[in-house]
Amino acid sequence: MTASANNTHDERLPLKGIRVIDIATVIAAPYCATLLGEFGADVLKLEHPDGGDALRRFGTPSNRGDTLTWLSESRNKRSMTIDLRTPEGAEVFKSMIARTDVLCENFRTGTLERWNLGWDVLRQVNPRLVMLRVTGFGQTGPYKDRPGFARVAHAMGGIAYLAGMPKGTPVTPGSTTLGDYMTGLYGCFGVLMALRHRDLTGEGQFIDAALYESIFRCTEELAPAYGMFGMVRERQGSSHNDFAVPHGHFSTRDGKWVAISCATDMLFARLAQAMSRPDLAAPHTYGEQEQRLAHRHDVNEIVRDWCGSLTREEVLQRCYATDTPAGPLNNIADIFGDRQFHARRNMVAIDAPDTGEQIIVPTPVPRLSETPGSIRSLGPKLGEHTEEILRELLGMSDAEIAELRVRKAI
Amino acid sequence: MSATATNSGSTDSGSARPLDGVRVIDVGNFLAGPYAGTIMAEFGAEVIKIEHPQGGDPMRRFGTTTARPDATLKWLSESRNKKSVTCDLRQPEGVALLLKLVAKSDILIENFRPEAMESWGLGWDVLRAANPRLVMLRVTGYGQTGPYRRRAGFAHIAQAFGGLNYLAGFPGETPVLPGTVPLGDYVASLFGAIGTLIALRHAEQTGRGQIVDVGIYEAIFRILEEIAAAYGLHGVVREREGSGSFVACPHGHFRTRDDRWIAIACTTDKMFERLAAAMERPELASAELYGDQRKRLAARETVDAIVIDWVASLDRKEILDRCLAMEVPAGKVNSIADIFEDEHFLARSNLSVLQAEGLGEVVVPGVVPRLSKTPGRITHLGPTLGDATVTVLTELLKLNAAEIAALREQRII
Repeated sequence: MTASANNTHDERLPLKGIRVIDIATVIAAPYCATLLGEFGADVLKLEHPDGGDALRRFGTPSNRGDTLTWLSESRNKRSMTIDLRTPEGAEVFKSMIARTDVLCENFRTGTLERWNLGWDVLRQVNPRLVMLRVTGFGQTGPYKDRPGFARVAHAMGGIAYLAGMPKGTPVTPGSTTLGDYMTGLYGCFGVLMALRHRDLTGEGQFIDAALYESIFRCTEELAPAYGMFGMVRERQGSSHNDFAVPHGHFSTRDGKWVAISCATDMLFARLAQAMSRPDLAAPHTYGEQEQRLAHRHDVNEIVRDWCGSLTREEVLQRCYATDTPAGPLNNIADIFGDRQFHARRNMVAIDAPDTGEQIIVPTPVPRLSETPGSIRSLGPKLGEHTEEILRELLGMSDAEIAELRVRKAI
Repeated sequence: MSATATNSGSTDSGSARPLDGVRVIDVGNFLAGPYAGTIMAEFGAEVIKIEHPQGGDPMRRFGTTTARPDATLKWLSESRNKKSVTCDLRQPEGVALLLKLVAKSDILIENFRPEAMESWGLGWDVLRAANPRLVMLRVTGYGQTGPYRRRAGFAHIAQAFGGLNYLAGFPGETPVLPGTVPLGDYVASLFGAIGTLIALRHAEQTGRGQIVDVGIYEAIFRILEEIAAAYGLHGVVREREGSGSFVACPHGHFRTRDDRWIAIACTTDKMFERLAAAMERPELASAELYGDQRKRLAARETVDAIVIDWVASLDRKEILDRCLAMEVPAGKVNSIADIFEDEHFLARSNLSVLQAEGLGEVVVPGVVPRLSKTPGRITHLGPTLGDATVTVLTELLKLNAAEIAALREQRII
């Protein structure tokens, strides 16, 4: 585990000068703002005065009453409370939008329009605005008004159907928020392109991102194979053997798991060598992928027996020695003990303000050689920066701010 | 199988695209890294794929085969919009050719093992000398640094290493694949594309390029919520959740009477109240029973059993109609056959139909995300090997026919 609060590279942050308003909740659209914030954008998190973003209550509680997910994923953001449903709140919001580059939202379709804060209104306020709109099903189409959560999006997008033992119950594909993060990534990619277009032409636009589409887009040749041959891919269990054998998860003598994937004959030859069974890769046995595919049960059985006869460490050392693609199925305890995670500083421990807790969070990905991202603060307290933002951005006086408070607009 | 949307992601096929004028050289193989080039190409970048003259990218032969020996369906779909130029980087003349291309480009994508490029004389110092504004995206299993950097790293291995595969499956049982094998390739490429666009912006403002370094494992690790924080603080090791979730109940996959599956996600008490109403069992959401998430989590087996029984008593369509009438977050667990029938996929043009040379129609996923003014589009599917070699060498590098013939003669291209 790496220690020490992250060093800052403020002067080198590549998105310095970009202002982002995040009125979204939980992970999908907010994660886009998190990414932009890591690389220097000034991210203003606007939250409802009554409880704020639901992410504050999602996951393991911190001593401060919010959660570890909040502290980690709202990194670098400043929090301001505002009730967009009050007329005063809506006016303040529009004044802020006039001074903003990017807006991230993920209300259900039609919500902002109902508050008279839809794209048509906001583009009048700021024609250069880039607006990311994330929903479960997108801004158009027959399902657009349905409530959309990542689990439903995983199911709709086709990935849940594929995870699990053949004919067994489909399982969660590793993480219930996978689709949220992936949509944050696609959304951020769209925002950066739209900013580029805006810089060149002065013209803003909105990005319509749907959770289910982010998932479906990453299903490789699932659609073409059905379209051309009518092949319906089914759940694959722990091995994906449509094209390559062995290619899956195998348990070791000490009750742990390894992943081995031999996509080519050369890689299988290396595995056979690691197993001290070079005969397995001979032309008359299993040297060719076609032979292994035809005898996948036998081949998998041989590999399973071999893995079961050794500890995880022994299996992996033998695989690494012959350059066979193999690795551990790490749990988080394994990850904390791993040299590669340490060497790459994939985690950093940061003292959370007001909690007395040290929070270990993942560091920014990707790694830029000249202008790296950074974590400058953890998730803020609700409304921690309300007055600071109103003064700095809108030049408001104490009296004006007090008036907004009286009217419960902030 | 029902009809699908026609043509590409955008109907406005002549509109400006945000990456028009950006040139990308892609020397990678398979998906991790090259997919960043694919999505940039959808939005207007000119992506020149450099392939070995003998056989090219192995992805041409990986996946479901077609009548064309140079193109699997995976290749056709995921090399969309790219141009193919053959060039042998293991020969000095090939290296010289690549450097000339790099000098005229904005971005270079590669995913060889660390130090492979260096061993061919294509290290960062050389590339930067050829083009100081170059942005270089390097994607590998474990990243460019650290003790494991030279290990063979495929998506499957890197996902397992990053902590995702351990979490898929039933508690205490075999960990399964998290749905799609190259998920890590896609996720790493998305991070890579974001880093590349940020670095491109910086290069255009300052004239200085840089390296974007992505390990597939860390791209996966980055999106696992609070798993690190919870272990660090409380020693909690997250385990497999089966089809459910530790933080909410009911939240999972349920089998219907007609032997199909649906997903239900009652993240909040309000959602459960709606489900109880859909089940015509409003009392379930009362304060004495299961109205509170903590009570549901404490009695999750009982609550899940009630939902399992209810879902199993009706066909999928009926269950979904009832859930959706009450606005319960629920949906089909779609197979690809379901997806092809789905009116929403159709309405959003998520399935694009393109012509592939010699194969007829191929259905591929449309462009994501959707930009209102400058949408992406699919202009063509994965190219034949070397389809743009002569064009690029002639038009971009101003080589004449004799020079190109000489390169062919020496098997450089």
